[in-house]
Amino acid sequence: MAMIVVFSVIKELAGTTHTPGVEYPLFLALSFVAYNMFKNIVFKSMDAFSANKALFVYKQVLPFDTLISRFIIEISLSSIVFTLLLFIGWYIGLEIRCDNILGVLLGFLWIAIFGFSLGIFFAVLSFFYENFGKVVKLIFLPMFFLSALFYSVESLPPFAREIIVYNPVVNFMELIHGEFFLTLDTFYVDYMYMVFWTLVPLFLGLWLYKSSQRKIIMS
Amino acid sequence: MIFLENATKYYKTKNGKKYILKNVTLTLPEHTNIGILGRNGAGKSTLLRMLGGIDFPNSGKIYSDKSFSWPMGLAGGFQGSMTGRQNVKFVCRIFSRSEDELKKIVEFVKEFSELGDYFDMPIKIYSSGMKSRLSFGLSLAFDFDYILIDETLSVGDKKFKKKSKEALMKKIETSNVLMVSHSMNDLKSICDSGIVVNNGEIVYYENINDAIDRYDEINKG
Repeated sequence: MAMIVVFSVIKELAGTTHTPGVEYPLFLALSFVAYNMFKNIVFKSMDAFSANKALFVYKQVLPFDTLISRFIIEISLSSIVFTLLLFIGWYIGLEIRCDNILGVLLGFLWIAIFGFSLGIFFAVLSFFYENFGKVVKLIFLPMFFLSALFYSVESLPPFAREIIVYNPVVNFMELIHGEFFLTLDTFYVDYMYMVFWTLVPLFLGLWLYKSSQRKIIMS
Repeated sequence: MIFLENATKYYKTKNGKKYILKNVTLTLPEHTNIGILGRNGAGKSTLLRMLGGIDFPNSGKIYSDKSFSWPMGLAGGFQGSMTGRQNVKFVCRIFSRSEDELKKIVEFVKEFSELGDYFDMPIKIYSSGMKSRLSFGLSLAFDFDYILIDETLSVGDKKFKKKSKEALMKKIETSNVLMVSHSMNDLKSICDSGIVVNNGEIVYYENINDAIDRYDEINKG
């Protein structure tokens, strides 16, 4: 929330040209909700096993359940926050018009699943190697600036565009922005690249999890 | 009946494998309350956890057609940020009790554990005595063929100790107990038979007194 206000004010003061048909605060709201949901799913998944260790004394509770429950919590929280932000936006008189609502929903759901697949992969690794979790958190620090949260790929110089689309999160952000705003498109979204980033960590994570489930319960 | 078939369990340490069970084949009879004896680190708790289904032997099998409670230990099985009431509800739900039963169980646990206002406060502010009151009350609310107890009787004040022992004696009329304890008095009064865990071997004694004698021998030598 504070972030949205700060970035909107900066944008206003800097006096950069407005993209027609794009309400900048709304642009930011979409980015931050999606990004925070993604980040929280990954981070919360990493802590899920150690935080719920005490519950593994019930044999009905498997470590995987803790991942699922945290995933559901984060999605619900983000939905509430986003609805609230939309309501505030409507109240202060922003023009809220969604181009393709199904596309936006796809973007949100997909980035959540992407977070889940990274989450399960990192969760198993960081459970056995404590430092791995710290490294992941370190990698996430610059992600805030490199994920097209408060700018679109279109607005970057050409050489930067080519590099930044290698960041999978940028693809998701472009998808959400492009589907929401009439005047933005999804030209820089590479769907195959997103599928790759979703499926590979998911299957790696599931495989790692399956082979170490008993060890996680036992510890 | 509990069957152990070529069960082997070890932990890897720097000095090689440390065996808790070494190729043990054993059958434990039904309708008897079993005390588990052994020195610290001999693997009593691990054995209990394996029976409770949350630890697994490295090879071989441990199986039974009976139902087991979760191992009730000092560590608890509670989520620290939830209140006592929420934790009780949570456990009821994972054992798929209906909402009516759930209400009864919550009332019962609240009354039995005598926690008062603390029942609606987060578990993480509980003392260890309060935690074990809650966990003991909770375990009495369910019916299992075997109740697994890991030294929980030795905490709490005198009055609660007496009360919980009475409740347990009543409970074992219908179900059996498998308990780890260092209190010989508790073992003698609750258990009929015993097993001694030592150096990767398990020996079953039909009489608890024989098991205690054997345990004393190990401690001396």
